[in-house]
Amino acid sequence: MADSALPLAGLRVLDISSFIAAPAAAVVLGDWGADVIKVEGPEGDPNRRIMHDSSNYPKSPVNYPWQMDSRNKRSIVLDLKQADARAALDKLIAKSDILICNFPPPVRDKLKLAYDDVKAVNPKLIYASLTGYGESGPDRDRPGFDATAYFARSGLLDAQRYEGGPPGVPGPAQGDRATAMALVSAILMALMHRTKTGEGSWVGTSLLGNGLWSCGVIAQAALVGAFLPHRPPPDRPRSALGNIYHTADDRWLQLTIVRADKLWAPLCRAMALDALIDDPRFASEPERRARASELAGLLSDRFATQPYEYWREALAAHSVTFGVISRPQDVPDDAQAVACGAVVETAIPEMPRTLADPIRLSFASQRIAHAAPELGEHGEEVLREAGLSVEEVATLKASGALK
Amino acid sequence: MTTGPMTTEEPLPLAGLLVLDISSFIAAPAAAAALADFGADVIKIEPPVDGDPHRNSFRNASYPQSDHNFPWQLDGRLKRSLALDLKTDGARTILERLLKRADVMIVNFPPPARERLKLRWEDIEPLNPRLIYCSLTGYGETGPDRDRPGFDITAYFGRSGILDAARYEGGPPGVSLPAQGDRATAMTLVAAILMGLRRRDQTGKGGWVGTSLYANGVWANGTSAAGALIGAKLPPRQGPETPRNALTNLYRTKDDRWLQLLMVRDDRLWEKFCATVQRADLLADPRFASRPERRQHSLALAAELVPMFASRPYEEWERLFAGTGIPFGVIGRLADVIDDAQAEHAGIFADTTNPEIPRTVNTPIRLGFAQPRTAGPPPTVGQHNDEVLREAGFSDSEIDALKKSGALG
Repeated sequence: MADSALPLAGLRVLDISSFIAAPAAAVVLGDWGADVIKVEGPEGDPNRRIMHDSSNYPKSPVNYPWQMDSRNKRSIVLDLKQADARAALDKLIAKSDILICNFPPPVRDKLKLAYDDVKAVNPKLIYASLTGYGESGPDRDRPGFDATAYFARSGLLDAQRYEGGPPGVPGPAQGDRATAMALVSAILMALMHRTKTGEGSWVGTSLLGNGLWSCGVIAQAALVGAFLPHRPPPDRPRSALGNIYHTADDRWLQLTIVRADKLWAPLCRAMALDALIDDPRFASEPERRARASELAGLLSDRFATQPYEYWREALAAHSVTFGVISRPQDVPDDAQAVACGAVVETAIPEMPRTLADPIRLSFASQRIAHAAPELGEHGEEVLREAGLSVEEVATLKASGALK
Repeated sequence: MTTGPMTTEEPLPLAGLLVLDISSFIAAPAAAAALADFGADVIKIEPPVDGDPHRNSFRNASYPQSDHNFPWQLDGRLKRSLALDLKTDGARTILERLLKRADVMIVNFPPPARERLKLRWEDIEPLNPRLIYCSLTGYGETGPDRDRPGFDITAYFGRSGILDAARYEGGPPGVSLPAQGDRATAMTLVAAILMGLRRRDQTGKGGWVGTSLYANGVWANGTSAAGALIGAKLPPRQGPETPRNALTNLYRTKDDRWLQLLMVRDDRLWEKFCATVQRADLLADPRFASRPERRQHSLALAAELVPMFASRPYEEWERLFAGTGIPFGVIGRLADVIDDAQAEHAGIFADTTNPEIPRTVNTPIRLGFAQPRTAGPPPTVGQHNDEVLREAGFSDSEIDALKKSGALG
């Protein structure tokens, strides 16, 4: 597979960010060869504790979210409120290519970590900032999380509901991880710009912007005054061919026939409902739409007679597009999850498998995940690499600037 | 539009790159649109007459109904259209000529169709070894389901476990929105292509890059999936009346909006919260004295908070919480979002020069040194046939002959 070094080898990244979206972008850079140094405050990134702190995380003796979001990073603890710690950070900035932060703008100003501040130290640096709601405007200083900024504020959760029901449910960090890929793309564009011009730059993205980008179809519709009605429940769908059905073994199967003109007959054959093919009630797409509930009733009665596995084979045999609603426990043992590169092995004994980032390259493979760092594990090593003397490091430790 | 600090205008980072978008529907074309936003010259190669079937997505029952072709504006923007019947020899001649000049090629044919059309990377590499060949699949390039057509609702949302997780206890699976996973996946494709270009800058070599909808869904669901890998299971989400944590929960306000409280750091913020909502009684209540107790008595705490939040409209809560550092938000409605001043500041929407669809949605990428290009109307099928072929060196008589043969639509 790999015939050359990883594409980001030789780049040094300072990950001065917390929680998930921004650190996950740093993970992706690390996956592809960058040397990622996580700069944490004395208490460490609160993501180290989120599995315990959040009631919406699966609990485990293994700190899997921290492992996933910190793999292959080194950790240094600097108390940036102290002047000599801040000065030591400048030494690191001077020798880095990329800085990722997610402080709200007032905190950046207070810590003298705004782009203008660091540009003076290293004009070639790429400064990537993640915000909840953007770099300016009335809500720029509001702390943003993916549930609030990506999902709620964007209109996603309001749209993701069944008629009359409560708002939809976002998965933990679901929007954060999607946002990480936009931040990576922004950073790579800045690297391309630096290759051409020799100059660093600011780049960034917001959780709100990513939420709206992901629901771009309905956001674009809203911009022309069209709105999506809330989804009717499965027994009275808008289209029976784009609906979910319960199988005999209590699983859900998702029919998503986009080209109904082509697939109506194959679907009927796959379901042994051949009589429906020429049934005048369902002869054309407009008629199938007009009688969607009636058709959904017929299909749902038939789906309920056989288990998921039966339908998987029957539908695949007729090239009918469908999907299963997997349960999380189905994914780890899904051969296709391994084949598509999503599930990979690690070098972490307590957590032997993890999720790769979704980028695939023919010319390089992602680095295998090694254990996430202990808090401040690499402080001395990182500062020595940046040119600080043993005495200087000792002084920083003695003052409490470095833990 | 405001983009961020230190905005300067320099040449767009992808200016000078030629991209062939030989893909259909949404994830892959959306990646091509993002490249076009930042300067690439994107040629959309589509079948004659009907073109990319996504041109008709706006008639899909699961889409908001409009006479305006709004999804095509979004995914066709800033592209030129070349209508080719790839099954003809003439089209192959054209394609090979274009491929020799191209920097990036994006496809989303399933592997068997790529093989049939001789559009695999190994078919193309001899023509242009510097090409970045990018493919999107539903389920990956190998494995039992590699040939299965994948859509975002099936591959990104269903198969990855997101929809199963996105439900309230006892309820049906969650709801995904049209192309929601496709558009998130597009950002991964962009990153993959940029890594390919970076490596080309370093080595002079092209290569294959790609991603799958399935891998992107699993990545987005990564926290739960990482838990599942070590046997940890996400308990189903309780409804808003019976939360496991009353301080990270949804509350209905007096004016029938939903307020989302997200006080992850209640160890630090509990006192401030009680002061902000003027509930000294809650602060003094021994049932809620510490974090473990607040969790243990989350139903009792929710029973206090549900009527409290229902007693005032959202705007009053917004005023009370603003500036306190207590994370909260409203469940936004798109009708409000499109006029949200903050969305404008975040550079989320942009004006177009298409009078029929005057505003569009930007990619979430913001650069200090460049702004995304302004979009005009998307192309009609084959609108740029002659222009693109002339640029590739075909003479007028050759172009006429290709039209007569049916290769060019």
